[in-house]
Amino acid sequence: MLLPEQMAKILIVGSKDKLKDTIEELYRLEKVHPIDFSAEEEGFTLGSPLPEASETSQKLLKLRAVSKDLAVVDKPIKDKVAAERIHTEIDEALITLEQEIRGAIETRDRIRNRKHDLENSKKLLEPFVPLGIDIDLYRGYESIAVFTGYVSTDPEPVLNEALKNYELFKSDENDLIALFVAKAEAPEAQRLLVQEGFVDLPAPQGKGSPSEAVKAIDAETEALDKALSDAEEKVTKLREKHEAFILASDEELSIQVEKAEFPLRAGATAHAFAIDAWVPSSSLEAVQASLMSKIGDDIHIEVVEEKVTRKEHIHEEEVAPGVREEHVKEEPPSKLTAKKPVSMFTHLTEMISVPMYGEIDPTNILAITFPLFFGLMVGDVAYGLGFMILGWIGFRHVRSDDWKTISAMLFFGGLWALIFGLFFFGEAFGMHFAPQWSAGASHTLYPYGDELSWSSMLQTNLTINLGPLPFGIYNKLNDVKMLLYIAIWIGIAHLFIGYCLGVYNETIRHGFKHAFMHKVSWLLILLGGAFLLPYVVDLLILSLPVGLLDYRLIVGIVFLLIGIILAFRAEGGQSILELPGLLSNVVSYTRLTAIGMAKAGMALAFNMIAFEMIGPAGGIAAIGAMAIFAIGHLMIFVLAVLSAGIHGIRLHYVELFQKFFTGGGSKFDPLRVVRKYTSER
Amino acid sequence: MVAIAAGIAVGLAGLASGWAEKDVGTAAVGAMAENEKNFGKGLVLMVIPETIVIFGLVIAILLWTKMGTA
Repeated sequence: MLLPEQMAKILIVGSKDKLKDTIEELYRLEKVHPIDFSAEEEGFTLGSPLPEASETSQKLLKLRAVSKDLAVVDKPIKDKVAAERIHTEIDEALITLEQEIRGAIETRDRIRNRKHDLENSKKLLEPFVPLGIDIDLYRGYESIAVFTGYVSTDPEPVLNEALKNYELFKSDENDLIALFVAKAEAPEAQRLLVQEGFVDLPAPQGKGSPSEAVKAIDAETEALDKALSDAEEKVTKLREKHEAFILASDEELSIQVEKAEFPLRAGATAHAFAIDAWVPSSSLEAVQASLMSKIGDDIHIEVVEEKVTRKEHIHEEEVAPGVREEHVKEEPPSKLTAKKPVSMFTHLTEMISVPMYGEIDPTNILAITFPLFFGLMVGDVAYGLGFMILGWIGFRHVRSDDWKTISAMLFFGGLWALIFGLFFFGEAFGMHFAPQWSAGASHTLYPYGDELSWSSMLQTNLTINLGPLPFGIYNKLNDVKMLLYIAIWIGIAHLFIGYCLGVYNETIRHGFKHAFMHKVSWLLILLGGAFLLPYVVDLLILSLPVGLLDYRLIVGIVFLLIGIILAFRAEGGQSILELPGLLSNVVSYTRLTAIGMAKAGMALAFNMIAFEMIGPAGGIAAIGAMAIFAIGHLMIFVLAVLSAGIHGIRLHYVELFQKFFTGGGSKFDPLRVVRKYTSER
Repeated sequence: MVAIAAGIAVGLAGLASGWAEKDVGTAAVGAMAENEKNFGKGLVLMVIPETIVIFGLVIAILLWTKMGTA
C-alpha cells in the first residue's frame, strides 16, 4: 500500500496490419504505459505514423486557423459533441466554416487596417493644423526650399540677421515652424536651424487645409467605428455559433493525431511492430486476455517480467578489454496507490519529485504529520474553525490541483488546530478559556483572573477538567521552555520515522547490508542524541546535579559512537561533516511552537488594545475596539496560512524527506483518451 | 543587558538569513522562470537558511526566560 504499484513489463509484437487495432485497444484499456522505443536495437527502426496521420493533421491545422481567427478559447460547453458526428461532418464543416468566416474576418480586418491608416495620417497632419498653410503649398517649388520641423527656441532673431529672402511661419507655442527660403540661402538656413535645435518633421502629402483634412478623417473614423463594431459583432455571433463544434473537433482530431502518431514510439520492421510497455501486475491478465480476444492470433504478447523487482541493480559489462560500463536497470513508472484522504496531498510530494518505483510514497507520512504540524503551529479554536470552513468551501468549489491541496491543508490542518486549541492550549482568538492570574494576584479578589481571558470577559469560570484532558495544558507565552522542549521531541520522533522509512527503502532497493550502514547508522546517532538530550537539559537548563555515570549519558554516547563509526565506514569523512546538520534538523523543529508563540504574542497585543485600552471607554470606542479586534485577527489568520503552511511543508521537504526520499521517478502515464468536449458515442 | 542580548541574537540572525535567502531566492526564481517544475526544489533550497533565524529565536527565547530569574 505504501509502495507504488507492482509493475510488469510486456512486449507486444504483431503484424503491421493489426497495429491500428492494437493501438485502439491499448487506448481503451487505459492500463498500458508504453516505453519509448530507442532505435538502438538491431533489425528495428522507429515506426512510421499511420497513413491517416497526415490528412488528420492537415484538418487539425485548418481547424486551428479558423479557431484562431475567431479567437475561440477553452471553456466549458453545454452539450458534448458525439465523436461520430465529428467524423462524418468535419470535411464539409471545414469548407463551410472557412467560407462563412473568411468574409466576416476579412471585412473586420479591412476596417481595422483602414482605421489604423487614418490614425497614422491624422497623427502626421495634426501638428500642421496651427500653421494654417494648405498642405499642397509645402512642396513643388523651383527656387524655394522648405524646412518644417520642431525647434527648441524661437529661431526668428537669428534667421532675421542672416537671411535675406525668407518667410517664417510659427505655431502658437513657437515649437513648430515652417521656413520658406530661397534655395541659394538654404544651406545657411539649415545650419542656423540646427543650431537652434531643429528636428525635421516632413510635411504630409495631400491637398487643402490640414484642419479640413483632419475633420474629414474624424468623420470617416466615426463611420468606421460603427462598421467595425458591426463586423466584430458578426464575428462574435459566428464564434458563439461554432464554438462548441470547433472545440470538440479540435479535441477529437488531436486524439486521432495522437493515436495515428503512436507508432513513432514503437519499434518496427518491414512487416511487424513491437511495443515495449509497463502494465500494473494486477491488470496483466486482463490486458492480455482483452488484447487476445480483440485482435486474435496475429499478435503475440510476451511477458518480459511479471513482477519487476524494486531492487536497483547496476550491473557491469565489459564492452572492451579493460573497459567496464555500468548499466542501470530501466526504472518502471510509479503508479501511486494512496487513496483519499492521503492522496489529497500527493501534489505536495510531486512538487518535489515523483517517488521512484522502489520507494515508499512519502505522501503517506506527509498526509498525517503535515496537517498535524499546521494545527500545532496555529493551535487556536477560532482560527481552526475558520480554516476548516475555508477548506470545506474549497473542497466544493476549487478545481486546480494547487487549490485542492491548499483546501486539504486548511481543512485537516484546521481540524488539528481546533483539537490542539481546545485541549492543548485552551484558547480562542489568542485568549484563554480558563481564568489567568498574573504573578501574586489574589484568587479571591479576582475570581475570574486579573488578566484577559474568556473567563474574565464573560465573568464565568470556564475551567473545564475532563479528567486527563483539561482544557489548556500549556500556555503559549508562559510555558515557553516546555513547549520548545516538546517541539524538539516531536522533531526527534519525526526524524526517527524518517530514518525508519529510509531503512525500509534502502533494504528494498539495495539490500539490508547497505541499509544498515547508510541508515541504521544515522538512526543510532539520532537515538544517542535522544538519550543525551534530557541529560543536557538537566545539566545546563535545570541545573540539576547529574553524575558522569548517569545511564542516559553512557547509553547516549555508546549509541552515538557506534552510529558515527558505521556512518564513517559507509560514507567516509563526509558523514562527520553532516553531524551538525542532524543537530540543526532537530533544532529546526522548535519552529513548531516558536511560530505559535509569535502568533500568540500578536493576538495578545490586539486583544489588549481592543479590550483593555479602547473597549472600556464604551460608545464609539467600543465599535473601534471591535474593528481593531476584527482587522487584527484577520491579519493573524492570513499570516497563519502563510507561516504555518510554509513552515509545515518545509519541515517535511527539508528535514524529513532527506532522510529517506530519493525521488526522480516517472509517473505512470498510461495510453488513454481524456475527453472534455466530445463523447465517445 | 539580557534583553539587548536577546534582541541582538534574533536581529542579527534574521539579517543573516535574509541575506542568504536573497541570493538563493534570486537563483530560485530564475530557475523557476525556465521550468515551473523547479518550484518545489526552489522552495526547499530557499528556506534552508531560515534555520539560522530559528536558532537565533531559540537563543533569544532562552535568554528571555532567564530575564525573570537573573
